[in-house]
Amino acid sequence: MAQSKEINISPDLIAEAVKRAMATLGKSPGQETLTGSPSGKLEAEKDYPLGTKRPDLVKSASGLALEDITLDKVVSGQIGFDDVKIRPETLEYQAQIAENIGRPNLAANLRRAAEMTNIPDDRVLEIYNSLRPYRCTKPELLDIANELETKYNAKICAALVREAADVYEKRGRLKQ
Amino acid sequence: MGKRQKRFEVLAERAVNQDGFIKEWIDVGLVAMDSPNDPTPSIKIENGTVLEMDGKRREEFDMIDTWIADHCIETDVAEEAMAIDSLQIARMLVDISVPRTEIVRLSVGMTPAKYVDVLKHMNVVELMMAMQKLRPRRTPSNQAHVTNLKDTPALLAADAAEAGYRGFSEIETTVGVGRYAPMNALSLLVGGQTGRPGLLAQCAVEEALELTMGMRGLTHYAETVSVYGTEQVFVDGDDTPWSKAFLASAYASRGLKMRFTSGTGSEVQMGYAEGKSMLYLEIRCVMITKGAGVQGLQNGSISVIGVPGAVPSGIRAVLAENVATVLNDLEVASGNDQTFTHSPIRNTARMLMQFLPGTDFIFSGYSSVPNYDNMFAGSTHDCDDYDDMLVLQRDLQIDMSLLPVKEEDVIAIRNKGARALQAVFNELGLPLITDEEVEAATYAHGSKDMPDRNVPEDLRAIDELMKRGTTGVDVVRALAKRGFNDVAQSVLNMLKGKVTGDYLHTSAIFDENFNVVAAVNDLNDYNGPGTGYRLEGERWELLKNIPAAISPEDI
Repeated sequence: MAQSKEINISPDLIAEAVKRAMATLGKSPGQETLTGSPSGKLEAEKDYPLGTKRPDLVKSASGLALEDITLDKVVSGQIGFDDVKIRPETLEYQAQIAENIGRPNLAANLRRAAEMTNIPDDRVLEIYNSLRPYRCTKPELLDIANELETKYNAKICAALVREAADVYEKRGRLKQ
Repeated sequence: MGKRQKRFEVLAERAVNQDGFIKEWIDVGLVAMDSPNDPTPSIKIENGTVLEMDGKRREEFDMIDTWIADHCIETDVAEEAMAIDSLQIARMLVDISVPRTEIVRLSVGMTPAKYVDVLKHMNVVELMMAMQKLRPRRTPSNQAHVTNLKDTPALLAADAAEAGYRGFSEIETTVGVGRYAPMNALSLLVGGQTGRPGLLAQCAVEEALELTMGMRGLTHYAETVSVYGTEQVFVDGDDTPWSKAFLASAYASRGLKMRFTSGTGSEVQMGYAEGKSMLYLEIRCVMITKGAGVQGLQNGSISVIGVPGAVPSGIRAVLAENVATVLNDLEVASGNDQTFTHSPIRNTARMLMQFLPGTDFIFSGYSSVPNYDNMFAGSTHDCDDYDDMLVLQRDLQIDMSLLPVKEEDVIAIRNKGARALQAVFNELGLPLITDEEVEAATYAHGSKDMPDRNVPEDLRAIDELMKRGTTGVDVVRALAKRGFNDVAQSVLNMLKGKVTGDYLHTSAIFDENFNVVAAVNDLNDYNGPGTGYRLEGERWELLKNIPAAISPEDI
């Protein structure tokens, strides 16, 4: 029986669970110390691909291990779509691998993504639309940044939105 | 002129003379890679902040300058890289004794004008050498377009299956009628996994819908996320570098691979090139992409190829923009997708620039359907050119990622793809795919061979499907219930791929056993003769044995 089907899990409950999990890991997801790595971070050569080299680290958003995601369980309805979603810890691991191979920009993107796993699909789309030119006033953008920070603990994303608010103001790209 | 010279009469009828050519026109940016208005490379950094870039002070920066200065330029190496003579860097790009890692270490410190200054020293053979050495993934690959005029699903599934079977690593669809998008995505998902497990599929439509389909697990990646080289054109495209960077992370947050799209000539076409060369503006796009942390870029002019194609050295500039991409350590899906010439000679010459050195995706994509069915405004080569391409691979011993196939095997795989989709339609309550449609799709050349569908009925059903929130998991279940267990397992494995996030890395694809092949575990190690990817061994045995070749023992 898949974990997610045993109780009725709401998106809020999942968000709470992720936050709790993140709190135990430290300031951001995936910062637990890893054994066998001198820097405590994953390394491309040793750990990539995670799916085959470090399956012990990979779990779905609902907490299932890769080997538990089977065709039989999908057919019998034990596995739903939440059981095949990526979780923030995994994105942090992938960010470490990107960093290790010299791709800090990609790592930064994956860390923003880790934060966004907490945000529901519709809200992600709305925020994206709000960042398009002439959609928001500066206070509206700053409200979004605050929401990202307080409601979703998405600090890096919030910084990106604040930066956009400043640049849009300077370049006349805010809602008139 | 009175009497015509007969040879000139013949020449006037040649295909190439139906093409449009224009002399350079600097003021509007109709210049390939060397405009007098291009800035002179410069950089000034204080406490890790870029205060001046390419002759512009920070106060004068537009949105794009700001993004590049704050998110892309690696200030730790910028002064070192900018101090090296551009000609010297150009020579390093082709020098087999300078490893890729050293070049990539320095390139992140270069400004847009510096890139142009380096690349304009290089001729096309040198640019191809740089591509061979610098493309991120060691193994080259290819992408196919799978579309048709009628958006008819059984044919999309059959074509997707054949494309996978023929060796493409990615397939891309789009729509004739916008509301068909989710059904087209579904058709590629099912057909693609039937043809070749591990095949990545995308559906290029409006940004928000494209992301929604990805979030539901109906697609595996996205590509048509456009960026532009001037602020005005970017804003006219209804985005900014910040909105696009947010969108990029949104994809990754759902475990979806993505790349941006740009191309020389788009700023000219949209009327705001600021008199800069097409290559300079395109390099700004490459650097926007790098700064956003996106793993790769589709460029090579793409949908505006007619613009660089019309000016002197334009096709060289198109190759140079591909090289600028890999020089930034980004995956390149290198164009060759839109028809730009009536001349088959020009067409193939343009394509050789990417085929000969090999890129992450030589075409983005190759038309796996007849040209009339290509809803991306055609491609330089299509399904009728398959045998020519197989022979080119064999002639030159170069890998275009295309496998020789037998007719009976293609018939079988097309049929299975269409039947698998028929089963899914049944289970999901979509308007039925008839046996007649399956049969027609199996043997079709294109959508002219397909019966018409009830379009309003399809569209209603698609709207309901989206409202119901159907996901990739429902597709797995539907396939398994109807006995397509192998296809079901493949669709599920792709969903598991999203759980691991391994294919979010640079230049990632899957092989048929779902092993990820990326510029992490398959990093390009070209270092001159005897190194890097070479078409040899088992793979060469496979590719050289085209069906048309006769064995000596048969004579």
